Amino acid sequence: MPKKILVVDDEPHIVKYLTAFFEDSGYETCSAADGEEALVALRREKPDLVTLDLQMPNETGTRFYRNMTKDKEFKNLPVIVISGIPGRHLAVSKPVAVFEKPIDRNALLDAIKKAIG
Amino acid sequence: MDALLAEEQGRLSNVGCKCEETGIEAKQKRVLAGQRRHPVTQGFSNVQWEKLIDSLPCYVTLQDRDLKVLWSNSLSQRDFGSPTGKTCRDLYRVDPSKCADCPAQKTFQDGEIHSKEMMLTTKDGSRVNVIAHSSAFRDDAGEIAAIIHTAINITSVKDMQKQLILLGQTVAGMAHSIKNIMMGLDGGIYVVNKGLEDKDQDEVKEGWEMVLLNFDKISHIVKDIIYCSKEREPDFQRVIPNNIIREVYELFKDVAARYRISIELELDESLQEAMVDPMGFHTVLSNLVTNAMDACKIDVWKDTHLIELRSRRAEDGSTVVEVADNGIGIDKDIREHVFEDLFSSKGDKGTGLGLMVTQKIMREHGGNITFRSRPGQGTTFVATFPGNALPSE
Repeated sequence: MPKKILVVDDEPHIVKYLTAFFEDSGYETCSAADGEEALVALRREKPDLVTLDLQMPNETGTRFYRNMTKDKEFKNLPVIVISGIPGRHLAVSKPVAVFEKPIDRNALLDAIKKAIG
Repeated sequence: MDALLAEEQGRLSNVGCKCEETGIEAKQKRVLAGQRRHPVTQGFSNVQWEKLIDSLPCYVTLQDRDLKVLWSNSLSQRDFGSPTGKTCRDLYRVDPSKCADCPAQKTFQDGEIHSKEMMLTTKDGSRVNVIAHSSAFRDDAGEIAAIIHTAINITSVKDMQKQLILLGQTVAGMAHSIKNIMMGLDGGIYVVNKGLEDKDQDEVKEGWEMVLLNFDKISHIVKDIIYCSKEREPDFQRVIPNNIIREVYELFKDVAARYRISIELELDESLQEAMVDPMGFHTVLSNLVTNAMDACKIDVWKDTHLIELRSRRAEDGSTVVEVADNGIGIDKDIREHVFEDLFSSKGDKGTGLGLMVTQKIMREHGGNITFRSRPGQGTTFVATFPGNALPSE
């Protein structure tokens, strides 16, 4: 069964880009436009990995991460931070990898493969 | 005053005597000696020396150990008033918290020259940035009797420094936005290519839209930058404001609809021509509509959103344009920063240029811009363009 990736970004076009790319690379995808949607998607879709944009307005990315790690089931779910601002990933304690926008998509794919195969 | 100069000269020449006299020291000595003989200063009386110090083009004070001002020069008296009975803190109205590592006190301790950048407040309340130096004023026995405090006005230098900092921040802010746009372009190109490969027309269209949208974003940033630069002079023309408002409406209504935001017009049709810079007016309006749309997009509490563009004539003949939205509203703690240069609440999706440019254009028109907002309810920005008279610039 293909592994599933949850893409969290408030920019619909970025979501389109990443989901299209992940699907082409053989993954299943689901997406959320903000932190609250992401929590719902997390429980419903049970993804194997999350890519998280931390620049969403109102710090919803950071809040989502905090809520996620409070939940035993998702505490150790691998998170890849995609960020436009260096240093912002510090809000996420143990990211699998951090990518600055614009991302190098092949490097991103390598990081995902390393994390979940 | 003679004693002071003799002392100073003695000190300077002593420095040279400690080791073998170098060429430079010898020259210094000659220069000092030369100054003594110069026809202008030759035979200077005490009064004349005092006059010389008095007319120095910086703020000069003489202070005792309690920092009481014993004497101040003309420039200091002109800008800060009489020093009688005051300490330097009172005279220069320095914030007590800024008196830490006071150069004057340090000089009393070690006799050396000390310097510090400070902010002084003149008697009419304007603020002056200075670089303050203090040096010891010794009596005949060589004891520090007082300190000489000079403050040089560096406000214009400071302003320039601020501009440079601002420039740096602008560039950094733009770099962040451009990174985001590049990612969007990257994505658009990827989706277009994929659509072409899959021969999927809809996918090509979707990808192409991503490319176009990000292209628009770049154009917008470039336009903002042009407005920020001083080169562009406003081009005032007699125009009908409602026409420009309709243009902006046409420009945004389809994009807005995609986010379930409807834009409505509420125009006073009796509004006549006004003297404005059409491109500036257009930019002000599109910046305000862009902000209004962003405020609606991030507001998850309402299913549909509304932006109203209103125009009316004020009693004094000004043209008033309002952009009202029922978006997220502006939080109290953000409120005071809204008009700050380069402030943005949109993370790396905003440059903070929009309202900075808007304000600049309003200033050029001699107009003003204000807003009222209720968190969770919405925001209304009000731009007032003065009547037909050209702003006096």
